[in-house]
Amino acid sequence: MPEFPTLSEDEYRRLCEFLYRRTGMVFTEAKRYYVERRVVERMLAVKATSFEDYFARLRVDLRGEIEQFVNAFTVNETYFYREEHQLACLSSDLLAARVKAKAHGGQIRIWSVPCSTGEEPYSIAIWLLENWPLVDQYDIEIVGSDIDTDAVALARAGVFAKRALMRLSPYLVDKYFVADGSETWKIIDDLRQSVTFTAANIIDQVATRAHGQFDVIFCRNVLIYFDDTSRRVAAENLYENLLPGGYICLGHTESMSRISPLFDVARFADAIVYQRPPV
Amino acid sequence: MPLIRKPAGASSAGVPAPNSAAVLLALASGTDDERWAAARSAAELPGGVAAVGEALAREKSPRVREALFTGLARVATPQSVEVVLPFLRSDDALVRTGASDALTAMRSVAWPAIAALLRDPDTDVRILACSLVHDMPGETALPLLCDLLDSEPEPNVCAAAVDAIAEIGGAEALPVLARCKERFAATPFLEFAIKVAMDRIRSQVTGPRA
Repeated sequence: MPEFPTLSEDEYRRLCEFLYRRTGMVFTEAKRYYVERRVVERMLAVKATSFEDYFARLRVDLRGEIEQFVNAFTVNETYFYREEHQLACLSSDLLAARVKAKAHGGQIRIWSVPCSTGEEPYSIAIWLLENWPLVDQYDIEIVGSDIDTDAVALARAGVFAKRALMRLSPYLVDKYFVADGSETWKIIDDLRQSVTFTAANIIDQVATRAHGQFDVIFCRNVLIYFDDTSRRVAAENLYENLLPGGYICLGHTESMSRISPLFDVARFADAIVYQRPPV
Repeated sequence: MPLIRKPAGASSAGVPAPNSAAVLLALASGTDDERWAAARSAAELPGGVAAVGEALAREKSPRVREALFTGLARVATPQSVEVVLPFLRSDDALVRTGASDALTAMRSVAWPAIAALLRDPDTDVRILACSLVHDMPGETALPLLCDLLDSEPEPNVCAAAVDAIAEIGGAEALPVLARCKERFAATPFLEFAIKVAMDRIRSQVTGPRA
């Protein structure tokens, strides 16, 4: 890789403002190395001759460059059964509470956002099949969404490296995956087809509203990348996306109470989650 | 397999483009849900910031109020700052907190107004301003708090400034704290708070002892 271009203060500010408006993610001067490295990757990919040349292409979205640029800034580091205690809480407490609000055999909707390359929504599916006794009695719809369209495409493909499967027992790997080469495994078709994947940004009200309302939302480790305003907007979008009485699970370092007063805290044996107040 | 797959957005109700007049009407006279939906888009409409300010003054639903404050924070203009400021004087703690959070979210756009609040005639507003200043970058916040501490007559306001300085201050704040301690020698709680702040700053300046 060639030398990184050193962006001037003004260029860096314009780039970060552009990224902020598109994604809600905030990058300060302290993240300059991270930002510049991704800019140079994209400049090489499109054969831009200078930052100004690249930024001009970005602003007019030449050949879909905005999507590629945003994709370069997302973090897709995850694995199956991450924060397993929340999955335990889902099957032992959250769904028990939600089915009380529904007719027997009704629909339960679960949203994983952002879903990265699919580990989380597939984990939810596997966990429920293995651990929720009522799984056969309700129509369960699982949707995974992410701003990174490359990640969504990988999620749909359902092929994972060994590292992503490290928390799964050999029994589960054998049951829900088939070997796809020497170092990768593919989710079985039945499971792959039971999760819907979409591209969505949680600070985009139009995009989030289009997904309808859910019983449970997993929104882990993304709000930490936003500034105060974007966090508030995201919280209000997620509020709209929850059915009254529905639950939202955040990452273990995140607290909705510090972002928005819209939700109640719900404490369970396995996890602390947040609830849209019932009507 | 019992899990089902549906086309994405199958249960969406659709999102019509906002009609300005309808949004502002809903903001003024809709149901809770209609006002909530209107509050989420009103500030960005022509004339919306002023309409949101009027709506805030009469709004009783905490969640709609929250959405109104978020709308103003999202716009983040000097005008939206001006609309938020009067709500710092509300008798309702939730409204004051909402206004304070919105100003914090507006960041640099709100800083000149926040700095001016340190000279507000209302003691409670000056106390609130100290916590808002605390969220500014240290190089901006510290001189403001030090200036306040050198002239502020109210011990409760000084205490709020001392709390903020204790977290963001460096060695340059020590003489200011010492002068304040001398001025309020007859106010034990403030003297104690200043001592704690000075100890904390000194420990950070010198680092932990072996």
